[in-house]
Amino acid sequence: MTKNLKIIGKPTPKIDANIRVTGEAQFGHDIQLPNMLYGAILRTKYPVAEIISIDTSKAKKLEGVKCVITADNIDVNNISYRRDHPILKKGQVNCIRDEIAAVAATSKEIAQKALELIEVKYKVREGIFDPFEAIKEDAPQINHFIDGKYPNKNIAEHFHYEHGNLDEEKAISKYIVSHRYTLPRVTHCCMATSNMTADYSKTDGKLTLYSTTQVPFLYQRDIARALKMEPSKIRIIQVVIGGGFGSKLDMYPYEPICALLSMKTGQPVQLIFSREEEFIASPTRQTMIYDVTAGADENGRFTFRDVRVTLDNGAYTSWGATTPFVMMQTFSSLYQCPACRFDSTSVYTNNVYAGSFRGYGNPQATFALERTIDMLAEEIGMSKSEIRILNANFKGEITKQGLHFNTCGHKEALETVIEKVKGHTHPLVPSQEWKTKRYKRGVGYASMLHVGGGAKIYPSDGCGTTLKIDPFGYLTIITGSSEIGQGSETVLAMIASEELGIDISRIKVINTDTDIKPWDVGVHASRTSFVAGNSVLGAVKKLKEKISPKAAQLLKTNVDDLIYEKGLIKSVINESSIELDKVVRAIHFKEPGELCIDTYFFEPSSEFADNEFKGNVSGAYAFASQSVEVEVDTYTGNVKVLDVYVAQDVGKVLNPLGLAGQIEGGVVMGMGYALLEELIVDKGMILNPNFHNYKLPTAMDVPGIHFYPIETEDSLGPYGAKGVGEAPLIPTAAAIANAVSDAIGVQIDSLPVTPEKVLRALEEKF
Amino acid sequence: MLSMVDFNVISPESVDELILEIENNQSNNFRFGAGYTDLLLELRKQSGPKINVINLSKLNDAKFSAIEKTDDKIRIGSLITAGELVKNKEIQELFPVLHQAANSLASKQIRQVATVGGNICTASPAGDIATALVALEAICEILSTKNEIREVPIKEFMLGVRKTALKKNEILRSVVIPIIYADTKIISDFIKIGTRKSMECAIVSLAYHFLLDDDGIIKHSGIAIGSSAPTIKFTQGACDFLIGKKIVDFTDDDKKVFADKVLEYATPISDIRGSEWYRKKVLHNISKSILE
Repeated sequence: MTKNLKIIGKPTPKIDANIRVTGEAQFGHDIQLPNMLYGAILRTKYPVAEIISIDTSKAKKLEGVKCVITADNIDVNNISYRRDHPILKKGQVNCIRDEIAAVAATSKEIAQKALELIEVKYKVREGIFDPFEAIKEDAPQINHFIDGKYPNKNIAEHFHYEHGNLDEEKAISKYIVSHRYTLPRVTHCCMATSNMTADYSKTDGKLTLYSTTQVPFLYQRDIARALKMEPSKIRIIQVVIGGGFGSKLDMYPYEPICALLSMKTGQPVQLIFSREEEFIASPTRQTMIYDVTAGADENGRFTFRDVRVTLDNGAYTSWGATTPFVMMQTFSSLYQCPACRFDSTSVYTNNVYAGSFRGYGNPQATFALERTIDMLAEEIGMSKSEIRILNANFKGEITKQGLHFNTCGHKEALETVIEKVKGHTHPLVPSQEWKTKRYKRGVGYASMLHVGGGAKIYPSDGCGTTLKIDPFGYLTIITGSSEIGQGSETVLAMIASEELGIDISRIKVINTDTDIKPWDVGVHASRTSFVAGNSVLGAVKKLKEKISPKAAQLLKTNVDDLIYEKGLIKSVINESSIELDKVVRAIHFKEPGELCIDTYFFEPSSEFADNEFKGNVSGAYAFASQSVEVEVDTYTGNVKVLDVYVAQDVGKVLNPLGLAGQIEGGVVMGMGYALLEELIVDKGMILNPNFHNYKLPTAMDVPGIHFYPIETEDSLGPYGAKGVGEAPLIPTAAAIANAVSDAIGVQIDSLPVTPEKVLRALEEKF
Repeated sequence: MLSMVDFNVISPESVDELILEIENNQSNNFRFGAGYTDLLLELRKQSGPKINVINLSKLNDAKFSAIEKTDDKIRIGSLITAGELVKNKEIQELFPVLHQAANSLASKQIRQVATVGGNICTASPAGDIATALVALEAICEILSTKNEIREVPIKEFMLGVRKTALKKNEILRSVVIPIIYADTKIISDFIKIGTRKSMECAIVSLAYHFLLDDDGIIKHSGIAIGSSAPTIKFTQGACDFLIGKKIVDFTDDDKKVFADKVLEYATPISDIRGSEWYRKKVLHNISKSILE
């Protein structure tokens, strides 16, 4: 990577920044189609009930109502990867999100009025809201659509992983700690609420969905399966997405419902969630209970981890149930660990179900592991920084789970944040004064490991790119990847600009239409810069193989002597040059009479995990460490985060501006998870479905965030880059909890660390 | 979830017009609209018969929309916004507790529209400005359709959650805070307990305003607590405890006795924002803290 880079690594504003800040961007809420109807969904009044009857006759008679659907007048398949989720429910409801009926009407108000006119008779039943109750043998079956994969009727998903000899490692462990951790239910809080506009043509049987999905091709397949259609008759057009964060990785009932309303009426139908509905009916981060036992030898080297996780699956299954696939990597491979057993069970309850959320289980796993490491350090009497550096991962390490760390910035990241927090401006209150001082300060550390080069989960982890240079020298990148605000289209344009010497203002990125763009698995696993970036590089290479011979011919030089720069192709030998567009025109309009267009598909060299979940599933791995200083008010229990120091192995900085946005946004999201956010649920009801009582951090709460990129230049990444999107959120809550624990000398074992929990902990201590 | 009650808007521009509109609406369902920060949310949640909103934002009357200082009092119009209170230098100097309370209300954006009258008439036990005004023993000036003014001490104005002493033919025109001149020193502040730094509804709040003489002896004391009972409470017993004493003389035991006296007025509930235990605990702690 000694190449002198022109735009890569330089702060570059997002190419979609202007339309976003001026309001020109077309979000789903802005779409208006001719003859468009408005859809609305009737949800259950009670989390658990038998449905005795549904009477839609009054709603149907209301003027302006075009269509009312219930489970009885639709022909569909169940959804979710476990196929355990009916789109509309009949006979019984199992959680407060349950969809019973839907209407399409000529206005939102009429649609709403129609919902009020639908009469549903319920027989309310007792629910089960605790996974430990639901897993008991005598508990009634909650979900009746499962396939009997597991002997216990309320188990939705189970993962078991192990490596090393647990008994031997336990035997040589001088120090062993055991602890239980409880992680809350939080939600994405996307600024744009869930939305869809469906447009079905009865003439040709084609369905166009203006959707916010972040996985358009998987979505096309899922919608087709749900609606019993041919996938290619479904066209997904991705609108500007007002926040994804993993929430749009799965398909939820409202989406096929909206499509069905359009199919029944033959008119476009738009369905938009209110904020309250968004809180109640959109996915959450998986709530779970961790039981962790871990050991260290006399020198502080980690020996084993024995982990049992119980996940509250909710009433149906979504991707939340598969988060153990990611969590087990943290336990098997973050810091060196000779023996590990990880066992997770996702249990059906009558609570709302979880989807995927930035970090995919990793913030929960990292919290449990990093809290345990602090407890081990205390047990040993070792410093919390030293024990981490001693056990840190290293370059060239092949973990027992089979992850290959070709590059690894773990130790450097740790050393950086340990050093930086030492030099902080806030003097620590001397420990002898702790008993008398109102404000106490503490420092906490945490690291994280996450895939950074895609994740081999689906049959393909690839991404296709088509490049087209027009006769005027402008480049169009048609990429399979999607922009959900993470800045990927800017990075892809930067890569193409770097390689072809075309100014970024002359590059267009087309990435929103499944009828046009080549296949891509979607936005997840922090993969887009790595996979789509490599795909662009591959396409550039192919395109240059077409352009360079012509340029060499025109410049009377060799192909190897050409450089692409500032819209020109230059010969480094005879210093002659020619405009790129001239070469394109020569190829197109003269000999050989071809378009300057080419397509490339990049598939990462990673491998699938075997049936023991072992294998090198990613092309690269990202590491990050954070150190946090907090101040705890022992009178009120309030925790003030003073500074967060972030050192992250990003491989290579592609766009410093975009990267800073990811880091700052991630840290603030992690801080919300640590201190404020929780969907409060009582017997299946959500008690705070609004921003008034669901506490998202505001700009006023943002601490000092200090970022130190670690550039390890991974040979497989574009210019050496790795995935960065999820990492900044993952260790934050763990580091904050560790800092609070350090400040007040009590163990923090659940999130969020509310003022009340802090005061109670202090009360119990003194 | 989208439904919103249907409403008419009437916008009187003078007190005469206002009185006329109130009279005209005596048999209707009507509400006053000033900053609309609470009212819009309420209207969105409601259904039922049409509501007439008497919009006060076009009303042009100094008594409603000015801050007037005389020798012995400050009159604050009910249409004064929290943002205007924050900017007012005389309030900042004379009544720091009110300045701080106004400044901790919701967010800067909301403070530009939320009004003093709205904060009082919503009669929330968590009202920030209202809690400060209770500590300052403000007097509510109520205008009736007879064009007469009735005076009610603010602690008697708020009767319970969303319940006030206002009759249907009355409107809160202004509040008056008496100025009691201190010889030397004012100790006055508003402590709001919440989990984040803005956009908070107090879990508990404590408003206090002490006037000290040259020797540091407390001559006057006003203390009110918010979010601790069905209405904002003036803690008379705790105020009396301080009179004639010096803060520097208080022992840890005195501080505890004082905090206990504040707590005598607290009958908080447990809700999703905080438990009864937490509210009492933290109120006790911050009560002690003001004597430290």
